[in-house]
Amino acid sequence: MVAALRPINLMIRNSQRAWKPIVLALLYMAGRAIAEERAVPIPHGTVELVSEQESIQPGHAILLGLHFRLENGWHIYWINPGDSGEPLRLDWHLPAGLRAGAIEWPVPSRLPIPPLLDYGYEGEVLLPVPIENTTGLAAGGEAALAADMKAIVCREVCIPAKAHLSLSLPVRAERPRGSAETAAIFRAARKALPKPAPANWRPSAKDRGDSFELIVSTGRSASEAWFAPLEPLQIENAAPQKSAPATTGVRLILKKSDQLVKPISWLRGVLVLPQSQGAYLIDAPVAPFPAKKPNQE
Amino acid sequence: MKRGFAYVVTLVLLALSTAALAARVGEPAPNFTAIDSNGKAHTLAAYHGRFVVLEWHNQGCPYTQKHYNSGNMERLQKEWTQKGVVWLTVISSAPGTQGYVTAEEENDYIRRMNAAPTAALLDPTGDLGHLYGAKTTPHMFIVNPDGVLIYDGAIDDKPTSDQADIATARNYVSRALGEAMFGKPVSMPTSRPYGCSVKYAH
Repeated sequence: MVAALRPINLMIRNSQRAWKPIVLALLYMAGRAIAEERAVPIPHGTVELVSEQESIQPGHAILLGLHFRLENGWHIYWINPGDSGEPLRLDWHLPAGLRAGAIEWPVPSRLPIPPLLDYGYEGEVLLPVPIENTTGLAAGGEAALAADMKAIVCREVCIPAKAHLSLSLPVRAERPRGSAETAAIFRAARKALPKPAPANWRPSAKDRGDSFELIVSTGRSASEAWFAPLEPLQIENAAPQKSAPATTGVRLILKKSDQLVKPISWLRGVLVLPQSQGAYLIDAPVAPFPAKKPNQE
Repeated sequence: MKRGFAYVVTLVLLALSTAALAARVGEPAPNFTAIDSNGKAHTLAAYHGRFVVLEWHNQGCPYTQKHYNSGNMERLQKEWTQKGVVWLTVISSAPGTQGYVTAEEENDYIRRMNAAPTAALLDPTGDLGHLYGAKTTPHMFIVNPDGVLIYDGAIDDKPTSDQADIATARNYVSRALGEAMFGKPVSMPTSRPYGCSVKYAH
C-alpha cells in the first residue's frame, strides 16, 4: 500500500495544484480501505477497535472505542437492554500496567417491539472505553491491545456475535497526538454520552403505588421528556411515560414494573429532554409510598 | 355513612379482582385454557394441588438453543416432572415469525431434543403470553399448589446466549421450586427474564 502511494507523493511534491484534491481523495480512500480491513465482520455489520490517540504515553490514559457499523434495522444493546437482549461483554487482553475501564454508554434509542421495548443502538455507534494506569509501559515499543467481544445483534430475530478485536499502538515518551482518522467519531461519541445532571436540578422521585413520579427541576417545562432506567425491573419499559404539568422542569409518571416486588430507594437512569436539550444522568432518591392511614371507622 | 363506606369497599374489591387478571408474584396466577401439540386442552385450575412451571419457548432463538442444545432445559424438565411438577412449554410465536411451529413440528422437535415437558401449549394468538406478560424466550413462571404465582423471571443468573455459562450459572427455577417444596418462601421471586423477545403478532 505504501509503495503504491509513493508516486502520488512525488506528484504532490512536484506541486501540480490541480492534482491535490484528487490525491487527497485517493489517500482518504486508501485510509478507508485500511480502516475497513481492521473492522471485524459480525452478523449484519462490523466492529472495530479504534483509538482516539495515535500513541500511548507512559503514565497517561488513552481512550479506545468499539466502533460498530450495523446494517439497516439491526441493533445492539445498552447497559440495561430493556425487555429482551443483552449488553455486550468484553474480555480484555492488555500489556501489564494497562487496565480497561467500563464502557461509557452513549444515550440509547428506544426500540419498541410491541408489547415490549428495548434500549440500544442502531446503525453506527462508538462505545468508548477508557484505558487507565499506563505506568508499566516503557517508551519505544509497541503495545498490543486486544479484546474478545461477545454480543447479540438483533432485528426481529437475534444472532450471537463474537469478535476478536485488536489494535497496536506505539509507546512514545511525548504527549500523544489525536488520531485524525478517528477524531470525528470520538467527537460524535462524546456528544452522545449523557451529561451529569446539574446539582440544582435536585432530582427526586415518589413511590405512588403503581407508579413512580420523577421530578427534575431543569428550569424549563418539557412535556416530551423520557427516562430510561439503568436498572432492570424498576419500570415497565413499554408503558407510555406521562408528563404531568410542571412549570419549572420535568415531572414524569413511570409505571412500575409488574416484577418489582420490593420498594426501591433510588431511581437511576438517563433523562432525555426534547428538542436537543440533551440527556442527563439522573440519580433520584425515592420517597416511600405513604403508609396506609389508620382506619377511620 | 356506613353504607357509603361499604359501597367504596365493594368498588375497591371489584378493582382488585380485575387487577388480578395480570400475572403478579404473590397473587393468584391467571387461569387459562390452552391446546397442546397433541390437541389436548390444559386448564391451569385443573392442576390445583401441584406446582406448575410455564416455560416460554422459541426453538429458533439463540437463548432457547443455549438451554436446549446443551441439554439443560430437558434435564430440568425431567428432574422436576419426576418430582410431580407440571411443566408446560408455551409457544407464543405468531404464524410467520421465528419459533412458530405446527403441532407436528413441535412433536418432532420434542422427540428430536428428547425434551420432557408435561405438554407443549400452542399459543399462536399470543393470548396466553399477553395474559402472563411473557417477554422473552425463555421466560419462566412458577405457580404453587394453591394457584399462586411464586416466580416470574429468568431461568438463571447468566443472561447470555453462551452454552459455556450454564455450568457456573445458578438456576433460579430449581432454587425457587426447591425452596417452595420445603415450605420456604422463594428467596428471589422475580428477576429480569433474558432472551429473545417473544414473537407476538403485530
